[in-house]
Amino acid sequence: MRLNCIGLEGTAHSFGAGIVTDEGEVLVNIWDMLSPNEGGIHPREASRHHSELGPKIIKDAFHQAGITPSEIDLVAFSRGPGLGPCLRATATMARTLAMSLNVPLVGVNHCIAHIEIGCLESKFIDPVTVYVSGGNSQVIAFAGGRYRTFGETLDIAIGNMLDVFGRYAGMPFPAGPIVERTAKDGRVYHTLPYSVKGMDLSYSGMLTAAKKLYDEGKSLPDICFSIQETAFGMIGEIAERAIAHTKKKELLLTGGVARNTRLTEILQGVANRHDIAFHRVSPSLAGDQGAMIAWTGILQYKADDFLEISNSYVLPKWRTDEQDILWRDSQ
Amino acid sequence: MNEELLTLGAESEIFRLHRWGLDLVRKRRPKKPYLLESIDENLRNTRISRECKMLTIARTLGVPTPSVYAINYEDKSIIMDYIEGEQLKTIVPLINDDERESLCKMFGQYLAKLHLGDVVHGDPTTSNLIVDKKGRIWMIDFGLAEMNATLEMKGVDLHLVHRALETTHWNYQDSMLNAVLNGYSNVIGNEAEEIFERMKEIRERGRYH
Repeated sequence: MRLNCIGLEGTAHSFGAGIVTDEGEVLVNIWDMLSPNEGGIHPREASRHHSELGPKIIKDAFHQAGITPSEIDLVAFSRGPGLGPCLRATATMARTLAMSLNVPLVGVNHCIAHIEIGCLESKFIDPVTVYVSGGNSQVIAFAGGRYRTFGETLDIAIGNMLDVFGRYAGMPFPAGPIVERTAKDGRVYHTLPYSVKGMDLSYSGMLTAAKKLYDEGKSLPDICFSIQETAFGMIGEIAERAIAHTKKKELLLTGGVARNTRLTEILQGVANRHDIAFHRVSPSLAGDQGAMIAWTGILQYKADDFLEISNSYVLPKWRTDEQDILWRDSQ
Repeated sequence: MNEELLTLGAESEIFRLHRWGLDLVRKRRPKKPYLLESIDENLRNTRISRECKMLTIARTLGVPTPSVYAINYEDKSIIMDYIEGEQLKTIVPLINDDERESLCKMFGQYLAKLHLGDVVHGDPTTSNLIVDKKGRIWMIDFGLAEMNATLEMKGVDLHLVHRALETTHWNYQDSMLNAVLNGYSNVIGNEAEEIFERMKEIRERGRYH
């Protein structure tokens, strides 16, 4: 019997619904992203966005997948980490669905879902994962029954740094793709703080220095070029350290910033240097979306890891290494 | 001048050699072709010169480190003492609780001696500690070390110890961290509390909340 799982993702500014089978087939994967006209993401506005658009997105998902709600065997939702109001709005929809369909409910860790959907797509068994987005910058690998964070940002995430700089330079949200396009015309490298500490890194100094270059009237393409080379070079370095340390044979790039071509080139270069496999998660599965929640929900459910409705409270600060990974062999 | 490749890391290649009647290693930082050339060149130069300088400064602060004999800016390499022993990382699972805690305590004491001299190591993992036959600890790999360290930098250094223990020695992480912090505060005294607070604060940053 085939198992169908609907996954709801709503940790930050995007709300998504995806339906995936236990054979790993993605039947549908749709989302809507809140793009404020100015400024950043306000948690309350984002949660209102999810509550208002969520039911229609879920209905559209059923329609596009060509299945009826009664064919759903499992409901999964992003339980954390994320913005409290957004998580609660999403959890409410997930509980309602699970109760009305009378099916089990699974609470999924957002960061782990990014890794698992990447493993599904790449067929990787046990990668070092670089997970980079607006809210996260982490290098993660599986060890001793859990996903361990080998390195992460000590201040702001890479995507956040790109967005904040972009906003300062008059770019709309999200600025990452515009920074990437603009950097293509950059020629002159301006030195920016290169801040790697062990396997951790820091971007706040770079952000300040980049804003200063902008104030000094330096060419925007040159600044964008310098930001990309420095910021992504740092990620390449900590990924390389994690590979040397864990001796793993696969490198996976995921998260919204995985869409960046220059970062992909750098990590491909790291993988080549160590003669290991590399995969960049395809754009439709790289950002925040429901398919990753649905797929991880299936893995978790099959390992008997699901929730009572009464116990399905959200975990805004849920760390990657706080969950026992029951569906993987722990060595 | 026979050289034998000892290890190949993320950052460097280590060769063992005998010269001037001494048992030595040559640590070379090869090019990283994936980096922009000017960034790579700058990093390799900074890190070898920093490593030479900080190995020596650390020793004056009372931390055993290999002596440096030569530096070559052309191929980005330095020649220093070969320390015979094992990385703490590899022996942690093989020794008993008392031995492990006493080595970790020594690790904490050495880190504290660096911090008292306003130096941070920058990559204080159990891979960067060599335990010799007599059970002494040698600290290596000072390429990310810095002088004029602030409270924040010391807090980051301790945070990195915590990080290394939780990712590499998860079975023993609590007892090992306690032993390191214990050795650390033995040397630093009351002011250690402030640094411990900062370490905890740093751990909570960068997380989504």
